[in-house]
This record gives sequence, C-alpha cells and structure tokens, in this order.
Amino acid sequence: MKPIILQGHERSLTQIVFNSEGDLLFSASKDSVVNAWFTSNGERLGTFGGIKGDGGHNGSVWTVAVDSQSRFLITGAADNCMKLWDISTGKCLFTWEFLTAVKRVQWNEDDDTILSITEQRSGQPSIIRIFKINRDEPSAQTTTPITTMTLSGSKATVALWSPLSEYILTGHESGKVAKYDVKSGEEVNYIDDAHSGEITDIQSSPDGTYFITSSKDKTARIFDSETLQEMKVYTTETPLNSACIAPLRPYVILGGGQDAMSVTTTSQRAGKFESRFWHKLFEEEVGRVKGHFGPINTLAVHPQGKAYASGAEDGFVRVHWFDEGYFRSRPFGDLEPEVEV
Amino acid sequence: MASVKPNTNWAEDDIEADELPPTTETTDANGVTTIVSWKLDEQDRKVKVTRRVRRRVQTAIVSHTVAERKGWAKFGLDKGKASGPDRKTTIIGENLHFRVAPVSKAEPEATDPVAAKPSGGKAVVCRLCQGGHFTAKCPYKEQLAVIDNMNTDGADEEEEAAAAASGLAPKGAGSAGGKYVPPGQRAGGGAGESMFRSRDDLPTLRITSLSVDAEEDDVRDLFSKFGRIARVSVVRDRETRQSKGLAFVSFEEKKSGEEAIKVMNGRGYDSLILNVAWSQPRGERT
Repeated sequence: MKPIILQGHERSLTQIVFNSEGDLLFSASKDSVVNAWFTSNGERLGTFGGIKGDGGHNGSVWTVAVDSQSRFLITGAADNCMKLWDISTGKCLFTWEFLTAVKRVQWNEDDDTILSITEQRSGQPSIIRIFKINRDEPSAQTTTPITTMTLSGSKATVALWSPLSEYILTGHESGKVAKYDVKSGEEVNYIDDAHSGEITDIQSSPDGTYFITSSKDKTARIFDSETLQEMKVYTTETPLNSACIAPLRPYVILGGGQDAMSVTTTSQRAGKFESRFWHKLFEEEVGRVKGHFGPINTLAVHPQGKAYASGAEDGFVRVHWFDEGYFRSRPFGDLEPEVEV
Repeated sequence: MASVKPNTNWAEDDIEADELPPTTETTDANGVTTIVSWKLDEQDRKVKVTRRVRRRVQTAIVSHTVAERKGWAKFGLDKGKASGPDRKTTIIGENLHFRVAPVSKAEPEATDPVAAKPSGGKAVVCRLCQGGHFTAKCPYKEQLAVIDNMNTDGADEEEEAAAAASGLAPKGAGSAGGKYVPPGQRAGGGAGESMFRSRDDLPTLRITSLSVDAEEDDVRDLFSKFGRIARVSVVRDRETRQSKGLAFVSFEEKKSGEEAIKVMNGRGYDSLILNVAWSQPRGERT
C-alpha cells in the first residue's frame, strides 16, 4: 500500500470528505482554504479560496460537505460564514452570515436541503439551522432557514442526516447523542450518557441504518439510527478525533492521538498517530497504518470501500488505496463468513 | 515613452538569456522516459533536473460523470496549471506494509522505546518503588503516593523541597554541574524526534546471496518472526526491475536484528545459502 501524500495546507486539517463516486476528495483546514483533489493520482483540481478577493473564507474552515452529484460544495468557517461553491469552477456562489462560527454542515439525501451547526459563543446559543437550497439558481439562496433549533443544553458539535432525511442525529459536547425532527425541530430521542466526553465525529454506515461516533473519552461507538440503541463499543487508549465505517469489509477506522499541545513531547513511535482498524463485529483491533506525525483529526472512507484518507494536525492528507490482501482478509479465520470478492 | 523594437532592447535580450530551456522528454527502446527540466534555485542559478521514469498506462472504467470531471480545468491557486500531479502538492509515500490481523495488546508496552532505553550512565532508582526507572514514570505512583502520605502524616518540608528540586532540574544535571543540557542529551530524554526519520537510524541488516525470485513480501515473511520490521527493500536493476539478490531489512529494535543474524546467517533459502550481516551506513562502507 503506497500512500499518496497531499500537501496543500499550511495548517492542520479539520475535515475531509469524498464525493459519492470517490474520485474527488475535499479537504478543509485551519488555513482558510479548501482543496479539491483527484483521489486516483493525488492531483489537485483546485482551491476554493486562497486568492485575495475571490470570495474565500477568512478564518479556519471547520467543515466541508459535497452533494451527491458533485456540483455544489458547502463550507463553514470560523469567520461566521457558510459558503456555497460551484465545484467545477471553484467560484463562490452564495454566502450566509451568522453571529458565530459554523462548525458542521451536511447535505441531505435529496441534495436540496442542508443543515448547519453554529458554535455557542459570546452569549449566543448553539443553533442548528436547516436551509433549503435553490439548485436552479444557485446564486439566489434564501437566508431564512426552514427550521431553527436552538439548543438549550450542551452544544452540538457534529450532526448527520438520518436515512430519508426526516431526522437529524447530533453528537454533543457533553457526550450526548440526540435525534431531532427536521420539520418540527423537536428533540424526539436522546441518550445523555452515550459518551463520557466530547463527541468529535459522527459518520453514517453505507446504508444509513447505523452510525459511528468518536469521542474524547477514548471510545468509538456504533448506534442504531432508528432507536439510538448502542450496538458496539471500541475502546482505545487515546482520545479519538474521528471514526468511519468501511463499506465492503467489516471494519471501522479510528483516528486520534493526544491533544495538539502535548504532541511535541511524544515520540512518533509511541504509536498514537496511527489510523487504527477495528473489526466492526468482534470489537477487536485488527491493524494499524502509520505515517502521520501529528494526531489524526479527520478520516474519510471511499464510498465504495476501495480507499480511505486521513487528515492530521501535521497538515498532510494521506490517501491509501487498499491492496488486494485487504479485500481477502479474514483476521479471525473460521469465525468470519467467507469473503466474496 | 520611446517605442523600441523588441529585438534591439538590451534589457529584454538579457531576460531572454535567463530564460530556461524548455522541458524535453525522450523515450528509449526499453520504454524508459527521460524528462529533462530546468528550474532556478534560490540563488537564481539554473538547475537541470533529470528524471527517468517508466510510464505504464492503467485503464479504469469509470462512470461518465467521473470521466467528465477528469477534463475540468483547474481553478483557484492551481488555475492554468497543466494536468497531472504537481510535485509541490502531491508526493507518493513509501510503501507501507498493511496486513489485517489481530493486534496483540501486550505488544505496545513491550516495545516502548522510552522504557526499554538504558539510562545513560547514572543509575536511576525510583524513589517510590526502588525500581530501575524515573520516579515520574513509576507505574505504582498513584497507589504508593497514597500510602506514602498516610505513613508520613504532615510530610517533611525539607524532603518535599528536595524532591521538587530534583524533579525540576534537567535529568542530566548531576553530571553536567548545573549547565544547560539540551533535551536530546539528557539521560533518559531520548533523541529528539525529527519529522522524517533517517534510514540509517534503524538497525538494518544486509542480506546477500538471496534468490533473485524473492520479493519484498517473501523477505518480510522470512524475517518477521524476529521482531517488528520497519522496512524491507530488495535491490533491483533500474531498467529491468530484476532483483540483484541483495536486500535490506530494517528492524525497529536492534535486539531483533541480532537474533535474526544468529539464526538466518548461513541458512539455506531457495537453494542458496543466505549471508546476513549488519548493513554499513553509506559513509563507512569501503
């Protein structure tokens, strides 16, 4: 497995996402630029922002989301702006402005609605807003959300659309996982002690029926999207920053490491900057991939399960295309079902 | 402004002389392409860069939307750049060995380089459990500290101060007499971590009279029983990619390398007798 190392950022990565065919990868970082990459050869297609006066972000970009047709990109940043971009040209089409930073954005399944989470800061509560996106006239968007959910308790850090886009699944700073109705804005279900630390990432399974959360409490957990019932727990020794579920094979990929402030005092060899593969069903670790020299901040897996990418505090993105051996692997031998390739 | 014909303008002549020759590409009979490109370095000197690559066409069937996107023009900071990866933003990393197999949980403790490192010169004795490690690293710190506090109720002021001083002082201060000791040279501090580890850092074995049919994975299988392997490389002919019967295996620990020499040197492998020895760093080789 030869990783492709993408060095297009000057500061640490915040989120990376593949598009639905897996041929493009979008990376957001604290240096206020979003990059688009071809995953097959690591070529950079272009940058969103980065040139003065072209409508780019003016602060750390916290989040990025791509629609299923790879036409539009949504980004949210610390400059209190959320932006809509045309992917083929890299032009900014529309900008929403809020009172606080935008921490998470995501498209729904129909590509016509987005969710955004704004940070809780300077007296402002954390708010989840749902916006309708006008796809026919992309530069004429509405600034009035169709639903606004003001969170009174712990702020939401991450969120995900549930299958059929009727609900939003959120992860909170307190470790709470909750489910909100998109139409009414009501909280319909929640687990207060899903995690004992801040939830850092939430990613859905290929079919959306379950999702994985990673947390600072050193565990990643899988929950049922319908009932929020906890299904699996993966316990590690380091705080986790990201987790994703590999399609095709029964593995989950976890990434983390200690806080950025304690990185300089830790040896790279202590093995905390590795992406770690865990068996999804047996909850056992089955492999590690090293390479980064900072904690991994974000992980993304190819939608068809052929590759995965990791973005770290060191400013690099590494794209790994799996070898033949990965697809045939059966780490627990006879306990596992036959592999059909 | 005086209008001057371009050819007679001495200033432009000068610029033209500084212009870099165009990049040339030639492909020889073996299918190896030589790319000669020119660039200016920091001191504005011309630098010739020669790259020899073998191009192989890989065909992949993709959906039409993916194929369409391949033809998109670049934008943003990459606007106007030619197609193909830019070596400034994209590099191909070293081959990683990734095998999906259960990871044993005891392993990380055993291979912790800090714990395994012998303390430099000064004998280290833990003040809590009398073990051979620093007090701060004592595994029984929490339990013993509680007991300690119970025994000496209202701890001795003097002892406390002494402990604090020795804890704060650089660890190598005992021998250096209060002089500043860089972290890398302090006893037990370990060498500073560089972003990319030099290859010579790792204990590396040189394996000669190896079968030319042995691939990297075969060599890895052969040596992996002695310890964790950081990298394996089989030396190959540049043009034909045929193995030269020589390989290098870098272990993460010296101990595993020693063991491997003991066992593997002189062993038969694929009808040849292996010759396994420590690899000499580039400079010391004769």
